[in-house]
Amino acid sequence: MTATGGDLEAPAEPRHWSRPALLVLTAAGMALVTGTVALLAGCFLQSAPPGPVTQRYQAKLNGLVMPEFEQNWKLFAPDPLQFNIAVQARTRTAGGDGDWVDLTAGDIAAIRHNPVPGHAQQNLLRRAWDFYDSTHDSEHGPTAGPRSELAEQYLKRIALQRLGRTGPGGPVTAVELRSATVAITPPPWSGQQQSSQQSGQVQYSELPWWPVSDTDYQGLA
Amino acid sequence: MSGTAPQPQTGSRAGEGLLTGIPSQPGPLRAEPEAPAAAGPAPAAPRPSAGDLLARGLELFTGRPLARHQAAALRICFALVVLLQLLREWPERRVVYGDRSAWSLDLARRLTAQDHAFSVLLWQDGRWWFEACYAVAVLAAVLMLLGWRTRFSSVLFLLAVVSVQNRSILVGDGGDNIVHLMVIYLAFTRCAEVWSLDARRRARGGSAGALPGVLLWLLSAAALTAAQLTGRLSWRSGDWPHLGWAALLWTMWAAAGLWYATGRWWPRGEPRAVLDALGSMVHHCAMVVIAAQVLLVYTTAGLYKVQGSRWQDGTALYYPLHLAYFTPWPALSGLLASSMLLVFALSYGTVLTQLAFPVVLWSRRAKNVLLVLMVAEHAGIAVLLGLPVFSLAMVAADSVFLPTAFLLWLGARSRPGRRAVT
Repeated sequence: MTATGGDLEAPAEPRHWSRPALLVLTAAGMALVTGTVALLAGCFLQSAPPGPVTQRYQAKLNGLVMPEFEQNWKLFAPDPLQFNIAVQARTRTAGGDGDWVDLTAGDIAAIRHNPVPGHAQQNLLRRAWDFYDSTHDSEHGPTAGPRSELAEQYLKRIALQRLGRTGPGGPVTAVELRSATVAITPPPWSGQQQSSQQSGQVQYSELPWWPVSDTDYQGLA
Repeated sequence: MSGTAPQPQTGSRAGEGLLTGIPSQPGPLRAEPEAPAAAGPAPAAPRPSAGDLLARGLELFTGRPLARHQAAALRICFALVVLLQLLREWPERRVVYGDRSAWSLDLARRLTAQDHAFSVLLWQDGRWWFEACYAVAVLAAVLMLLGWRTRFSSVLFLLAVVSVQNRSILVGDGGDNIVHLMVIYLAFTRCAEVWSLDARRRARGGSAGALPGVLLWLLSAAALTAAQLTGRLSWRSGDWPHLGWAALLWTMWAAAGLWYATGRWWPRGEPRAVLDALGSMVHHCAMVVIAAQVLLVYTTAGLYKVQGSRWQDGTALYYPLHLAYFTPWPALSGLLASSMLLVFALSYGTVLTQLAFPVVLWSRRAKNVLLVLMVAEHAGIAVLLGLPVFSLAMVAADSVFLPTAFLLWLGARSRPGRRAVT
């Protein structure tokens, strides 16, 4: 399928393989082709929408493809995200609750006019929120067992890393996060109905307060 | 092409000028597809039988590695992508992948206990183990770029890149995903046949300079043994097909040792020829996987998009151009998003190119036109959406489909006044 010509090469004179050599080559060739086909089939099935086939062979499929051959090519698909989601946080100290701080705003400021945005600004908080969102229901209840807990601790530590150890009233004892979602106004020419979330209006979704202890800061420096 | 399992060639006149029909210069490689023998009287000129075609396929499968320039281009491009990425993240490396990450080692270990992802960064706490591993990853990318001791470097590159990514799997994006896959596949290709220090050394001939290779081989054995004795590598993995990293790495290590030994003491013997044939077979399978992987990326990306109503009504591109995370140049994005026809054309153009790619591949000329379009689109994404590394990785992946003539021209241009070492 790729072009292969190009090199001037004297064809080596054909080799007469001995019987053991033929045996080794045959066995290896069959194993290789089988492995190649199996891997490609696995990658294909993992990309395809789930169905009876994927369900029946789920364990084998996961064993073959995950974690190192994971495929996810829903890039801006089936529909691109039509909201700007900002993650905001506030801390509680002995002196009361602090003000909301927009953690995403810092990311956006770093990305603006930056030809090479890094993972720390573009992916870290954004994908941590995606992870949290995909492991919790709309009431912020966990839906993915231990993964939900990982997502919560990750998000908490990101917030603490950016907010620091002390608030206006002393050491931080708890932290609360919320998402602020703004729908992107559809293009004026599209004739699309404004969604129920009026564009320009901010929809907040508050998470429960999470207690903070010293161990939460481990390594955050 | 992967359906040609080698079989004993006893029945197909193996060895009697099988390659004579294959021109040794650029030109149509394929024999004309045959109509079934029963259709009409036998023609005067002898035509290759199914057995001959099979034998020829086997010769190609086990013969000298094909697509050497594409493999080398992939090696160079992905080494460059990884190098740029690691250097880009350098100032923030400790926060993103290291000891200051909000994704603490504890969290990372709890996740990998579930999904069994491989990362040497999780083997040891503390800053300096991380710094050492990160430095080794940078070094591996440089070695891979230069094609120095590539049998060793490509495996080091694989382990380093996979380790860094799996340490903080949640900071990655599509670019990291394609890099992750390609560094694995590349370790199975013979990607340093051209445009590499290895090729230059081979061209100079002789067994001079064998010592570094032997030392690296011994060093690998020591490292693998240490990792295994401390329980960090194992032969078996928990999930089906129960193949641990140790099995893979020791197999590669043994193959490299056998390769060297037979080349040194028995260069004309059959074992060496068998190893060469095996190496070619693995290379060819890996190249097929790489090509299929790229097709899978574009096909699934395209097919998922056609299901979306925003892609259907041709307004999809408008939205990423208003996402704060993907608009480093808001004025430029706003300008582009303000044009109905431009948004429509680019939205549809994106879907159509992605869907057309696998179809168009069978026509050389159309494929090349589409490759140019793809590169242009990725250049646009790099600037507009602020995804330069992602775009570069996708362009690097596309290079598996570049025509050899173009690669040769590029190679000749990039080193004026020097003899090609191909």
